[in-house]
Parts: sequence; structure tokens; C-alpha cells
Amino acid sequence: MLRQKAFFSALTYVGGLLVLAIFIGPIVWFIALAIRPAETAFAMPPQFTFQPGLDAFRHILVNPGTNAPQLVNSLIVAIGAVALNLPFSVPAAYALSRFKVRGKKNIMLWYLGLLMAPPIAFLIPYFILITRVGLQGTYFSMVLVLQTITIPFSVWLMKSFIDEVPSELEEAARVDGARWYTVMWRITLPIVRPGIIVTSMFAFVFAWNNAAFPLVLSSRSTATLPIGTLGYFATSGVTWNFIAAAAVLAMIPPMIIFLVFDRYVVRGLTFGSVKG
Amino acid sequence: MSVQTVLAPQAEKPVRPSFVRRYLPYLLIAPSVIMLLSLIAYPLLFALRSSLYFWNLQIAPQPLTFVGLANYVQALNAFDFRDALVNTLVLSVTGTAIEFAFGLAIALLLLKALPGMNVVRALLILPTTIAPIVVGFLFRYLYDPGGGLITWLLRVFGAPVPPMGLLGSPTTALAAVLFADVWQWTPFFAIVLYASLLSVPDEIIEAARLDRASPLTMLIRIKLPLIRRTAVIIAMLRFMQLFNTFDTVLVLTRGGPGTSTRTLGYSLYEQGLINFNIGLVSAMTWITVLIVNIIVALYVSFAFRNEEW
Amino acid sequence: MSVDTTGLSRRSLLKGVSGAALVGSSFGPLLAPTRARAQSSKLVRVLAVEDPFFFSMKAMIPDFEKETGVKVELESLSYDALQARLVSAFVAKTSDADVIAVDQMWLGQYLDNGWIISLNDFIAKDKDIDLADFIPEVLYSSNTWRGQIATLPVAAYAQGVMYRKDILEQFGIATPPTQTSEAWTWDAYLNALKSLDGKQFGGKPLFPTVVCGSQPSPIVHMFTQISASHGANWFKAFPTSPWNFEPQLTGPAWMKSVDIYRELYKLSPPEAINYVWFDAGTRFAKGDIGMFYWWTPYFYLIKNSGYMTGKKSDIMGKYAAAAMPKAAGVEQTISLGGWSLGVPSSSANQEAGYAFIKWATSKATQKKMALWPDLNYQFSDFARVSLYKDEEVKAIYPYLDVQYAMMKQGNGKITRPPVPGYTALESVLGLTLNQLLTGAADPKVALETTNGLFTSILKGNLMIPYQKESFGDTLSEAKALISKLGKS
Repeated sequence: MLRQKAFFSALTYVGGLLVLAIFIGPIVWFIALAIRPAETAFAMPPQFTFQPGLDAFRHILVNPGTNAPQLVNSLIVAIGAVALNLPFSVPAAYALSRFKVRGKKNIMLWYLGLLMAPPIAFLIPYFILITRVGLQGTYFSMVLVLQTITIPFSVWLMKSFIDEVPSELEEAARVDGARWYTVMWRITLPIVRPGIIVTSMFAFVFAWNNAAFPLVLSSRSTATLPIGTLGYFATSGVTWNFIAAAAVLAMIPPMIIFLVFDRYVVRGLTFGSVKG
Repeated sequence: MSVQTVLAPQAEKPVRPSFVRRYLPYLLIAPSVIMLLSLIAYPLLFALRSSLYFWNLQIAPQPLTFVGLANYVQALNAFDFRDALVNTLVLSVTGTAIEFAFGLAIALLLLKALPGMNVVRALLILPTTIAPIVVGFLFRYLYDPGGGLITWLLRVFGAPVPPMGLLGSPTTALAAVLFADVWQWTPFFAIVLYASLLSVPDEIIEAARLDRASPLTMLIRIKLPLIRRTAVIIAMLRFMQLFNTFDTVLVLTRGGPGTSTRTLGYSLYEQGLINFNIGLVSAMTWITVLIVNIIVALYVSFAFRNEEW
Repeated sequence: MSVDTTGLSRRSLLKGVSGAALVGSSFGPLLAPTRARAQSSKLVRVLAVEDPFFFSMKAMIPDFEKETGVKVELESLSYDALQARLVSAFVAKTSDADVIAVDQMWLGQYLDNGWIISLNDFIAKDKDIDLADFIPEVLYSSNTWRGQIATLPVAAYAQGVMYRKDILEQFGIATPPTQTSEAWTWDAYLNALKSLDGKQFGGKPLFPTVVCGSQPSPIVHMFTQISASHGANWFKAFPTSPWNFEPQLTGPAWMKSVDIYRELYKLSPPEAINYVWFDAGTRFAKGDIGMFYWWTPYFYLIKNSGYMTGKKSDIMGKYAAAAMPKAAGVEQTISLGGWSLGVPSSSANQEAGYAFIKWATSKATQKKMALWPDLNYQFSDFARVSLYKDEEVKAIYPYLDVQYAMMKQGNGKITRPPVPGYTALESVLGLTLNQLLTGAADPKVALETTNGLFTSILKGNLMIPYQKESFGDTLSEAKALISKLGKS
């Protein structure tokens, strides 16, 4: 019995290692591409040991450093998208969770359905509209347009968090005479703080990783990192070290966020499946 | 105070609720709805109007003539429409199914609360945090017929690699694109399903175990039904995202070789940002939106029919 | 259910940051650096692409700034991004740049739509532009449209053959001629390549040639040189007047060209099916290819391993350039392409824009670009005759005679007709060719289908029947225009 248990444990560890190899291996390999000497990039058989160097990073960040301002732009756009998203989605999620709303199911599904529109198809109309109001190339235009992705997702996620808060807590407060906004602000939201964090994390990552909207809506000075990686993908040759270095730069903030706030990730992703 | 609460009658408020109080939930929902409507409605209406005109920026800067449904006819008869539709459906359906299956398998693996497995889980989310465009570059590098890691691994294991590379052969290109997406999003399924399975109350599991349920029965008859709602939602989300992908295809294959990896999303990109045929791309947008709508509506009516909200 | 109270500081931090970002982004329109509306003529904004000319031109910009006192803001984009950015700016009527890079095929569309200005007036008033020094075939192919010169060439490309002297010598193959000759036909080219099939060189397997298979553009660029050599025409009548855009892809010239291109692919590495422009050059520079043909910038690009790295390749010094093969009994046509500079009509700074273009395409600047040693001398895409005769330049780029001979037979308007709606046609043709390379499809059927698709696209774009005014666009017309404007 014990041997059987040990066997299954070993199997589990092997499975875990396999999972790591498959999902983390390529990432490590790509990071290697950013620090290895250019000639070894396509060596066959692949060269696993090499002399690492930071030339690629120096090129993209310092001289000529095209990606350094893009890094800042990505930060501004992503944080802005999250900031703009919360005041809209949190009240909506609260309402959908706490109140009887007619057609709730349809409204919920409508939010989700918005995610089915192909973003590419919106680019030209957005471009024309945004240029006509004079917002072309501004951070605000990208932050605004990104709400089409962040709000639906946030509403769903936040609603499932708020669903989990026992209504007794709110009832007690209401009985004490608290108005609805006091209840929401002082009772419910502090409890779903982890939910807000997770929602913001995902909104941040979606905004950070989005390439379609900045492709058309940004100017040279407001371009974000994904656009920067495309820039190295020229017709006259692909400079792989630079792409990898820019890509690593683009990968780091979301990765850091998810690793630092890891404990909220699992809590966040139940989508209200089972009442805890 | 508690005495008061007990003695006070459970009656409705003597004063008629204010407008705000009565419509409060709708007022709270309204801002997001208005924001989204304006952000989505404008382009869709713009596309609807443009789709009825001949407007090709390569020919003239403004719309030229009213052509009614001609753009729609042209879009449906386009040489690549059928291929693009088939590829898109294959990618979306197979991708979602594979990601779900593998995600579930990994989730079950993670549920074995052995020490160290939480490291695996923490790291597992990383592929999903990468921008799809970057994933495209990553896999282009891995698939390189000259020095790509995957090419090398396949050869080491004796699997046949077409001489023009996995991305260069019409038979393997779509699978290669699919694999890149599976690599990126299986962790998402894994972690969501893991989180949901985790919140299945222990009492139910205990009761099932007492009833001598086998692990397989436990999985199929007990756990899966309980996480049904989450599973259905994320499957739908992923399907819609997959249906619309274009940036990975753009970087990996540009829709080639031939039409083997051309997707509806890529066709939209090509007609809009390369050919600048605004009328045609607007018609294609509406066709795509309608198709996805139909599929999702069918899916929703089937999957959500018994759901409580 | 536990309540998380320890996250208080994190939450307030989050709130604080979000609040700041929200405030910041609301003021974004005011604070964010939107594109500078350069009203002062002390600044010229240039939007270019990172083709080879870009690097040497960029190095010369400090000279321009010193000479004229005008600052230059230079930006480069990828090909797709450039097109998207340009068209978007045109449609929105915003002023994005004062000088833009215009590809040969975009000229007609940009000029007809009024997006770029004609340079006729500027040129007529200009006393020292030396218009006659430009190769007329280049100006005709890339810069004139309906009697207007709308751009000036900063980098002109023809196509030519490059071969490994050592490999051909080892296998006893006669070196190809440097001038077009009736003995150097496509059949002769193919035979020479076939004799290299299956051979080894330096202990490693050898591929006779390399082609580009990637669709849509690279494969069409390479293929259309063969079809042009055989006298093939895309349309019934263009650019001769009156224009008739009925597609002609079912002619025997096209069929023969497809057969040749398929043969060439069989003699190439199989992964060439995915090769874009630069991949073919890099492959040749790696050393296992015997002979290939491509755009003339590759004459110098293959000196380097990697793009603009400055590192010499293994084959530097071991290769030479030769004339393109021709079709027996057909007058040779060489595909011309390249990049030119134009001035958007929305620019508020057109004078400064023209000044920049004049400087960048002048003999003095182009010579300095050629003599620029960084990156191992990577520019010889001259459009000016005088540079082909300059001894200093020829010392560094020994193949200039071949390149000039090819330029003189060039006709970009036939090889890749710069018609509005070109990209849609190119994508269909590219797809067909790509499929013909990978599959066993019958060329006749494939070309007929493509022809049908062309017809429906052209009809859909209101090109068949053509209702706008035609223009008799011939080389002699162009020459007349040049001499008229050149007289000042």
C-alpha cells in the first residue's frame, strides 16, 4: 500500500517535471536567445552552453535604445487601462451580484459576448473616430479602447468574487442603518480586496500584452513594447537577439506580477463555480 | 438593539423608495454598459455602413458607390473564405478541446498536494502571461528548420520533420500553429480547473469515497458536474478568443503555406491593413461576428440552460 | 471564510497608483507627446523603412543638419507598419511626416488620391538638381505617373545574378556573362544549375540555387523577373494607353515561367518555400548555394553575414555578379524596384521636405553613402549615371557595370504594374505560385483560376472596365518629361 502510494507520488513528480519542461523550457530557451552570442542562435545541434552577454539588451535599451520609452509606454497604458476599468466594472459587478436585475442572465452573457468581436475589425473605425476627435497617438485613446477587453472580463470575475461574500455581513450593516454605498465601500469591497487584485492583475496583463490596438492607435512616441518587437521583424532580416531581448522585456512585468501575487491567483480563478 | 430588531415588524419601508433606490442596480451597471456600447457600437455601425459601399483606399480615399450587398457576396465567394473558415473552426474547436483536456489532466496532477507541486503551479501560469505576438516569435524560433529546438527534438526522437520545416509544409503548418496556442493557454485551463476542483467541498468527496467510488467515477460523476459552470464559461471564452486570433498567425506563417493556416482573423487583417479595402473588410467583419454569434448562441442555449443566476 | 486584512497597505498602494494613473491618463491628451506639428521649417520629419539605404543615409544626416540648419527627425518602420501608418495618416488628413519613403508600387495610388504632391514645380525651379543624371529607366519605373514626377529615387534596385566563382570553377561551369547575351538564356541558366545537382562542395552538400517561396510579396518579386524576361504582361494594355486591365495570365510566357520557377525550387533547399527576401541572401552568404539571382542590393548584402552587422561573410571575395538570363528571342526586361522619397500633401513644410529629398538623392550624398565604411560598405543602389562611372566607387563595388547594364533594361511598370489595388492581386498571385511550388497542381489550371480571380478582383475594384482617364505612360514620354523639367 505504501509502495503503491510512493509509486504514485513518484509518478506525480515525474508529471510535474514534465509539465515544467514543456511549459517553462521554451521560455528559458527564449531568454537564452536574448543573452547568447548571435552566431549560436541557430546552431544545430542547439548549443546549450555559451558565453552570455547583455549586448542585445544594451542595444534595445541604451543605444539606440528604441525599446526603453516603449517599456514606459506599456506601463502607462496598462496601468491606465486598469485604473479606468475599475470604476466601471466594480459597481456593475456589485449590482449584478447583490441585486435582482431583470434579464441578468442576458446582461452577463452580453458582456461575455463582446469578447467575440474581432479586434482587428475595429481598428480602422477606431482610427478614424479617434483621429477626428484629435486623440490619435495619445495614451488615452489606447486606454479607452482597451476597455472593450478589460471591462467584460472584470465584470465576470468581480461578480463571482462578490458572490462569495456572505450576505449576512451586509445585512447586519444594513440593519444598523448603513446606506448601500457605505455597505459596498466599507463592508463588501474590503472583503473582496483579493478579488480586486486578481482582476486588476488580469486586466493589466491583457492591456500590457495587447498588440492590435497600439498597432494603429499609437504614434512613435507612444508605441508599446509588442509593437517594438514587431519592429525588429523587418523584411530585410530578423534580428533575433533583439527580438528576444525586447520580448523578454515585455514578458517580465506580467510574470513578476503573477509570481508576486501568486496566492491570489488560485483564489481568483474559480469564476464562482462552487460556493465556498 | 437586538430586542428592537426582533420586535420590529418585517414590513416594507413606509416611504416609497426613491428613484435612485429603485433603479440602483441599473444605475450601477449603466456606466459600464454605456462605455462598452459606445466603444463597440461605433465600429460595428461604421462597419455596417461601410460594408454597403465600394470603399477601397487604394482606389480612392472616400467611398465611391453604393453597392448594397455586393461586398458580402464578394467576401463569401473569396478564394480563401472557405479555407479560412474551415481553418478557423478547426483551430477553435480542436484548440479549446485539447486545452481543456490537457488542462484537466494537469489540474488533477496538481491536486495531489505533494510538497513542491505548488512551485509547479506558480510557474505554470507563465506562458499565459506572455503576449501572443511574442509567443509567435518564440515558436517561429523553435520551429526553425535550421536550428530550432523543436526541430532538433523531433529529429532526436526520430519523428519525421518535413525538410521545409514544420511551418513550411501545408500538412503540418496548422498543427504547428495550434500547438503554439495550446502551449500558451493550457496552463490557463489547468489553473482555473484546479482552482475550481479545489473548491469542491471536502464533505462531498468524503461521502463519495465512503461510497467506494472509484477515482474515475469520482471525476466524471461528481467533480466535473460541480465545476460545470466554470468549465463552460472558460471554454466559451477561449473559443471566442481562438476564433479571432491573428497576431500569432501573422508572425508564424502569414497565413501560409498556401492557405493552410489562413484564419478569418488574418484575412480581416489582410483586407483591412494591407489591401485597405474598407468596404470588403467591413462586410467580412459582420460575417465573422454573425458566425461567432450563432455558434456561441447555440453553445449558450445548450450549456447554460439549467443555470441559476 | 477568512478575511484578508494584511493587504491593506497593498490595496492603498494600488489605489494610489491607480488614482495617479487615472489622473495622468485623463491629462494624457494634453501631456502626452503627440506627434509634433512641425510648423517651423527648422524641422523635417522623415518616415522611412529599414532597407539598406536607411543606415548610410542616417549616418549622413548630421551633414544635412549642418549644411542647412534644419533638424531632421528620422523614423523607420517595417514595411507593413509603414503602409498602415501612411494610409491611416492620409485618410485622417493628419500631418505625420514631411518626407516619406514610397515603394515603387504605391506611387500611382498615392498621387491619384492626392496624398503626395507632384514635385514637377519644385524640380522646374531648381537649377542644380541635375535631373538628367538620373537613369531614365529608373525614373520611368518608380517615380513618374501621369506626367508627374512625384518622388525621387534614394535607392534603385534592379535584378542580377550572383554566383560562386570557386564552385563554378570546381565543376567546370562557364562563368556567366556580364552583359545580356543570346547565349545566356534561362535554359542555359537551368542547365548550369542542374549540373550542380546532388554535388558536394567543401565536404558539405551543395544546393545549386535558392529561391524565395514566401507569399505574397517575396515570391512574386522573384517570379516576375522570369515572367518579364519572357515578355509576359499582367494586363491587356498597361501602361500603354488606353488602359485595359483584362488579365493575361493564361499566356504561354506565364506558363513557361512557372515551369522554370518550379524547376528552380526543386534545385533549392526545401525550406526555401518559406524564405522571405533576406533569407535567400543569407543562405547564399552561408556558402552552400552555387548561383542565384535577386535584387541588386544583394550584390553587397551577401558580403556580410547577417543584416547590417558589419561582419564579413564566409563568401566575401568568392562571388561575382553577372547578367540576368534572358528568354530566347525575346527582348530582355529587368524588374526594377527600390525606394523613393516623396512629400505628403498634408505636410506644412513642403519646402524643407523637398530640400531633404534633393539632398538625399544628390550625387554628393549618395557617393558619401557608398563610401561610408561602417558596416562594411553596404550601399550601391544608385539611380544616378555618374555614380556608375565614378572610379572611387567602382573600386569598392566592382560589379557596378553589371548593375548598370541591368538598370538600362529595366521596366518596373511592366514587371510589377503599380496599379491601384496591386496588393490584392499580388496576394492572389503569390498564393498560387506558392501552391504551385509545394504541390503537384497543373500550372495551366492554376493560372486559369488565378486569371479568373484577378478578373473578379479587378471588376470589384472598378478597374474592369476602366472608367478613369488613361495615360500613355512610356519610356519616351518619361524621357521627354525629364528633359523638359531638367531645362531650367
